[in-house]
Amino acid sequence: MAISRRAFGVGLLATGAVGTGGYLVVKDRPELQGLLGNRLNLFGFIGGEKESFLADPDVVRALGSRGLTIQSRVAGSVEMVREQALLSQKPQFLWPSSSIMVDIARQNGIKIRDDRVVLNTPIVVYSWQPVADGLMQAGLVTKTAAGHHQLDLKALLDAILAGTDWSKLGVNMLYGRSRIVSTDPNRSNSGFMFAGLALSLLSGNLATPEALAEFGPKTQSIFRNMGFKSPSSGKLFEQYLAGGIGGEPMIVGYENQLVEWILADRARWERIMSGSGAKPVMLYPRPTVYSSHPLIVIDEQSQRLMDALTTSALQQLAWEKHGFRGPLGTPTGNLDGSLAGMLPPDIDAVLPMPDAGVMLPLLGLLAR
Amino acid sequence: MKRTAAFAFGLLALVSLAGCNFGKGPDFSIVSGSENTVIQPIVEEFCKQKNATCIFKYEGTLDIGLALQSEAGVGEDAVWPASSVWVDMFDTRRRVKGLTSIAQTPVVLGVRKSKAEALGWIGKQVFMKDILAAVQSGSLKFLMTSATQSNSGASAYLAMLSSALGNKPVIEPGDLGDANVQKTVKALLSGVERSSGSSGWLADLYVDSARRGTLYDAMWNYEAVLKETNDKLAGIQQEPLYAIYPADGVAVADSPLGFVDHGRGAEVQTFFNDLLVYLRTPDIQKRIAATGRRIPLADVSAPPEPLWNFDPGKLVTAIRMPEPQVIREALTLYQAALRKPSLTALCLDFSGSMSGDGVTQLKNAMRFLLTPAEASRVLVQWSPADRIVVIPFNSAPRRPMEASGDPLEQEGLLNAVLNEQPGGGTNMYACADLAMQQIARMPDVANYLPAIVIMTDGRSDDNSLFFLNRWNAAKPRVPIFGITFGDADKTQLDGLAKATSARVFDGGADLAAAFRTVRGYN
Repeated sequence: MAISRRAFGVGLLATGAVGTGGYLVVKDRPELQGLLGNRLNLFGFIGGEKESFLADPDVVRALGSRGLTIQSRVAGSVEMVREQALLSQKPQFLWPSSSIMVDIARQNGIKIRDDRVVLNTPIVVYSWQPVADGLMQAGLVTKTAAGHHQLDLKALLDAILAGTDWSKLGVNMLYGRSRIVSTDPNRSNSGFMFAGLALSLLSGNLATPEALAEFGPKTQSIFRNMGFKSPSSGKLFEQYLAGGIGGEPMIVGYENQLVEWILADRARWERIMSGSGAKPVMLYPRPTVYSSHPLIVIDEQSQRLMDALTTSALQQLAWEKHGFRGPLGTPTGNLDGSLAGMLPPDIDAVLPMPDAGVMLPLLGLLAR
Repeated sequence: MKRTAAFAFGLLALVSLAGCNFGKGPDFSIVSGSENTVIQPIVEEFCKQKNATCIFKYEGTLDIGLALQSEAGVGEDAVWPASSVWVDMFDTRRRVKGLTSIAQTPVVLGVRKSKAEALGWIGKQVFMKDILAAVQSGSLKFLMTSATQSNSGASAYLAMLSSALGNKPVIEPGDLGDANVQKTVKALLSGVERSSGSSGWLADLYVDSARRGTLYDAMWNYEAVLKETNDKLAGIQQEPLYAIYPADGVAVADSPLGFVDHGRGAEVQTFFNDLLVYLRTPDIQKRIAATGRRIPLADVSAPPEPLWNFDPGKLVTAIRMPEPQVIREALTLYQAALRKPSLTALCLDFSGSMSGDGVTQLKNAMRFLLTPAEASRVLVQWSPADRIVVIPFNSAPRRPMEASGDPLEQEGLLNAVLNEQPGGGTNMYACADLAMQQIARMPDVANYLPAIVIMTDGRSDDNSLFFLNRWNAAKPRVPIFGITFGDADKTQLDGLAKATSARVFDGGADLAAAFRTVRGYN
């Protein structure tokens, strides 16, 4: 087929126009940045509970289409805003698991360009159906109309402090005193948040420095009763699943941990649900605290990561594949199958965390 | 045509070459607690599937922990101790990755069924205080591994401590100083009849002894190991060990498998990850459960055996593990004060062939064993209540030296050993005979865990028949352990160890390490 010179010229012009127009269109569309080869590598520290979210191929792809490649390293929330060994590695962003870390980061002289909570997940208590049933009889757990379990955590803490046996709490199958276990608050965020929540509950209000002086020792006593405390939320959750009802009757964790675990192997979950053994149960403390996940922008370029993470596409992935709630604590998509209805759409009783001026001395107390 | 043929030949060569390498898996080594020997074949099937070469090495869980803590670390690609507590405690350099529990098994007391009947324990809830009462009345003795070398012993010991504290949720710093707690646990530990550094070896000891007509009362061990033991006992028409789950709480081993990255590449890491996935597939979990192990959430378990009270589906309340610092203190307390005192006779080969390097190494090993600061670093220190007899020998025993575990007395003993010089022939039987007499002469010998340890590098004049006749007639019957050195003739030591229910250790690579290990056995 022969092409006339004129036709060829017109064709060339047209391609050019489309190309230029296309460039102009793509340039203004962040989600198509990847197409332009306009790649941005960002390095930062993240809390371990977001590791599988950032490693999810769908998430990598969604960020990649916006030209973003994230190199993240896992670090404890407290250490990433305090440890010089980490900060000297010049992270471009930090993604800890509690809003207080923003204050602590600021106090440590970190220059914060911007910060915003991009994900949320409430602190929950993981237990087992027979324990939950016993606690329901004893009035410590109630079941909502939608079938979610709510835990009167204050009453439970009082019972533990009073040395109450499991049998007195309606749990006859377990011997000895009731207990709850969290991670080490000095190393891991879920333990840290639980410490703040426990102090507030024991003092009857959002904990203040005065409350710390009065109720700090009781909080310390709760943590001492735990004995060995795992250094990470992931490890404790594994311990809970592996230990079963006799080994780990009650632990503190994040709501999204069970969701991720179910989604990792749905057939396994179906087997558990239809099996004869004790089944895991999520108890929502009332009130609880939110583990919020603020993205701290240090290098201006990390703003693009913040923009990306708050888009509906990534928010939807965060909920549907990893169980993270959005900035407002509400679902940002739809869970299907056995997961639908398992999580309440709203967490209606949420306490703020005590501020850094209370939490830092509390950590010191709990390290003793 | 010629070209085509050459091409075809090249292609063929390439394909066959690829065939050689295709799917060749990595070499993969695992250091594991002895209780996993029964799982090894299941792992090996996976290795075969992956065309990988897997090597298993068995060590006490505490040894694995100490290796993790050391500068050099462990040489293997994976660790599989009995419990993750020891990894958390000792792996301060965070060398272990992806630590994952494979199965659970509680540490329980297996009591010979007729003994359990006599004690009125069949079908009853038994508490640690009931066990204490039986020990104190003299109606119960048991086998238990050393708490400072093996997880099952440490677990039983921590359960004893927890129970002695009364209904406290966990052992806290300060609790261990309580005189009543110490008294109770010391009384419980006085029930130890034989000890060892390995749970698997202890179970074998029970079965071998039963085969030879010596029936021990009881044994602390893993529920799953009791099942193995009872299967073997049934095979020799012996009564089973009835499982007692102390109702006030037991320690549960979580059998975690973890990866140690030696930078051998992604292939090795991937192999480990795939092994974890394999061990968690429903079919494999079913087979692991069939060994008597518990796998919560998997809805598989071995069928209950009411004959000996075995039911892996039955809920047991686990004791809460204390903080690592408290565990450390508890282990030191065990070694230094609470365990049953040992009465150890060391027969040391000072024959002519030990001249030079041999004597230097032997003296270094003694320096380690008799210097409290050194020995306590790996928790094998003597306590003042222990008795130590050292008999240097060549063709005849030299003058026996005796001391308590008091630091000053140890120093005197060490100085005496350091003055010994090599020379002459080798007769270990003569030394063992004298050791036996020394032990028999000791007042209150029943209050000690006695043992004879022979360290030799050579071939002894053979007096074994004569000696064993005398041994059989003697009381108490003291186990005779061996430590080989250099090109020692192992058959002679093996013969003695086997006949006296003991064990031989290889001191060739590290004589001090061999002496350390043997300490776990008395």
